[in-house]
Formats: sequence, C-alpha cells, structure tokens
Amino acid sequence: MSKTWLLAYPSGSSLMVKLRLASAGPNVNDARDLRWSRLMAAAQSGDRRAYEELLNECLPLLRQICRAKLRDATEAEDAVQDTLLTIHRARATYDASRPFRPWLVAITERRALDRIRARGRRSGREAALDLAMDLPAPTGSADAALDAEREAAKLRNAVQDLPESQRIALGLTKLQDLSLQEASARSRMSVGAIKVATHRAMQTLRRRLTGHD
Amino acid sequence: MQSEDLIHRLVDDLRPVRPARHPGAATALWLALATAVITGAVLFLGLRHDLAERLASGFDAPQLVMTLATGVLAAFAAFQLALPDRSRLWYLLPLPAALGWLATMGWGCLQDFERIGPDALLIGVSLPCFSVIMGLGLPLTMVMLWLSRHGAWFSPGPVAALGGLSAASMASIGLSLVHHLDAALMVLIWHGISVLVVTAIAAQVGPRVMRLARSGG
Repeated sequence: MSKTWLLAYPSGSSLMVKLRLASAGPNVNDARDLRWSRLMAAAQSGDRRAYEELLNECLPLLRQICRAKLRDATEAEDAVQDTLLTIHRARATYDASRPFRPWLVAITERRALDRIRARGRRSGREAALDLAMDLPAPTGSADAALDAEREAAKLRNAVQDLPESQRIALGLTKLQDLSLQEASARSRMSVGAIKVATHRAMQTLRRRLTGHD
Repeated sequence: MQSEDLIHRLVDDLRPVRPARHPGAATALWLALATAVITGAVLFLGLRHDLAERLASGFDAPQLVMTLATGVLAAFAAFQLALPDRSRLWYLLPLPAALGWLATMGWGCLQDFERIGPDALLIGVSLPCFSVIMGLGLPLTMVMLWLSRHGAWFSPGPVAALGGLSAASMASIGLSLVHHLDAALMVLIWHGISVLVVTAIAAQVGPRVMRLARSGG
C-alpha cells in the first residue's frame, strides 16, 4: 500500500499519523512534532483532552513567534489569541500525513502579519492618544498644545467611564480592529450584543464629548 | 481575556471535523462537477454544427487542450493555496498553460491572416461568447469558492482568483463546443476578455463569499 495512494484517500486522520510513525524510521528528529500531529488528529475526531493538551503545549511557541514579529507585548498576545481562534476554526485543514509544525507556524505568522497590517492602517487614520499629546500645535502656540492634551485626557476618561460591556465592545471592535465574529469569540457576548454595545458606546462618547447626539 | 482562558473556551467548543480533501481529490471533485454543468449546458444549447470537422482538422485541439490544462492546474493551485502550510508559489502553476492558451490562439490568428488576409483582423462583437462564459463561469466560480472556503483564513484573494480562472476556463471549453466562431482573433479577444472579467470578479468578490460560506459551515 503506497503512501501516495493513502494521501489521496479522503479520510482516516489517525491512519495517516500511524503511517507517518511507521515510515519515520529510526532517525525521528522531531518527536514533539509527531506527538502534536497525533494530538491534532485526535482533536479532529473530537477528543477534547488531546486538544487541550495540544493547545497548551503549543502556546509558548505561538508567543515566541508573535513576540518576535510584534514588539508590543499586548499586541503579540492579541496575535496569539487570533492564532488560537484560527487554529480552532481551520483545524480541518491540517493533513495528518504532513508535519504539524509548518502548519502551526504558517497560521501564526499570518495572524501576526495581519496585526502588523492593521496597525499600519490604524496609524494612518488615527494618532495614538499618547502620540496626540506630542503632535505640534498647528499654530505653534502652547495653548493649542494644551488644548490637545486636555481633549486626549477627556477622551480617555470618557472611555473609562463607559459601562463595562460597552468599553469591552469598543476596545475589541474599534481599538483592536477585530471583526464582530472575532470580538464575540473573545468576549462572552453574542455578535448582536457586540454590535449594540459598540453603537451605544459611540453614542455615549459623542454625547459626552460634543454635547450632541 | 487570557490566552489560557480562550483555550478553555475553544476546548469546550470542540466538535469533530472532517479533514479537508487533499488538493488532488478536491480538484477531481471540482472537475466532475464542472463537467456535469458544462455537459448540461451543451445539451441545452446544442453542439455547434461543425464541431466534428473542426476537431478533425486539428485547428481547435491545441487550444482546447491548453484551456483544459489551465482550468485543471488553476483549480489544483487554488486548493493548494487554500491550505496554510503550502508554498505560495503554487499560484504560478497555471501560468505556463495560460501562456500556452494565448499562444495557440495567437498562432490561430497568424494562420487566419495567412489564409484570408487582413479580413482576419476584423473584430466584431460577440455578446453570446461573453454571456455564455459569464453565465457559466460565475456560477462555476461560486462552486469553486464553496469547495475552497477554508482558504478564506489564509489566502482568500489568490484562491478566489485562481478559482475564477479555472471556472472561466471550463466555461470557455463549453463555449467552444456550442458556439461557432471562425476567426481566431475573435476567439482570442472574446474568450480572453470574458475569462479575465470572471477572474477579476472572483478576486474582488470571492473573499467575501468565502467568508460567508465559512461561517455557514
């Protein structure tokens, strides 16, 4: 029974893992990769204990990759969570006849790259609150700079005063630039609740900062 | 939320999944579906009256072979790119066949010019060409996007574009079987434009369709 024929066979993840183990020979360089491959095959079949073991064991590697690409620790951790979500949703794409690590690393690097791109788009549209305080006033006057600093502080305070659900929803959808589905998965809120909370947060901020609805 | 907490939630949410088809198996399924659709269209519209004669003359055979090769290779490349651990260079796979397709049509133009002179370069409007390729190509593209929906997480643009190219190529074969177009230049322009339009629409709209298909299951 050739490996080529088995690769074309549409089912039997555990069979694929057994074939890799049997054909690996005496010089198995990456025992960990084979272990993770076995755990992932079991997770594809619905084994929760194997899945939990796998994700916890992979977590340090995900953090290592994300921190290497995203210097900011908070953003790196967000990328790690993006990666975990993608692993979960795309777990059917793992082929148990192939090494696990390249599959994992490819997903992690893509999610880290997405964060870098999102950061680039955000910095083109908005100045960070802290950076806003350093921006020179258009007229060069100290009063204008002081006004900008006061406005930034006012915005920060207004966000802090929001109800928790609105603050969380705003942070996930507007500041971290997540989709509604991703924000729903991160928080304990449904997609509909996220939408409503974000809308109310924006209304509250607008009312508080401008006095208008 | 801490990542460890997220892991707990994901574990609680775990359900069995069927592993994605190997790209070869997915391509075979796609070709079977596309062949069924094209066959249905041919039966509905009827074969062109001079098909046997054209095939016997060897005039259309190289072009059909290159079109089929483009369709098959673009599909295989799309299914490869839909997986995260595959080389991004797979997108180059259909390029030689696509260039061969252009070359066969260009060669046909030269042969026509040699045979009938400057009249061979007259370009007419062929809305049936455009409408058949669009009419077949876009629904076939939707089928490709469904089969490769897991690619929405990784390379939605290239996967959708290659899917559109494959679908349009298959539609072009169907068109060649039902529609009479003598001039090679007309074939080059109208098939070529139609294929490009379907591919461009797939690249633009495809990622959104794939995300919707993915969230549906």
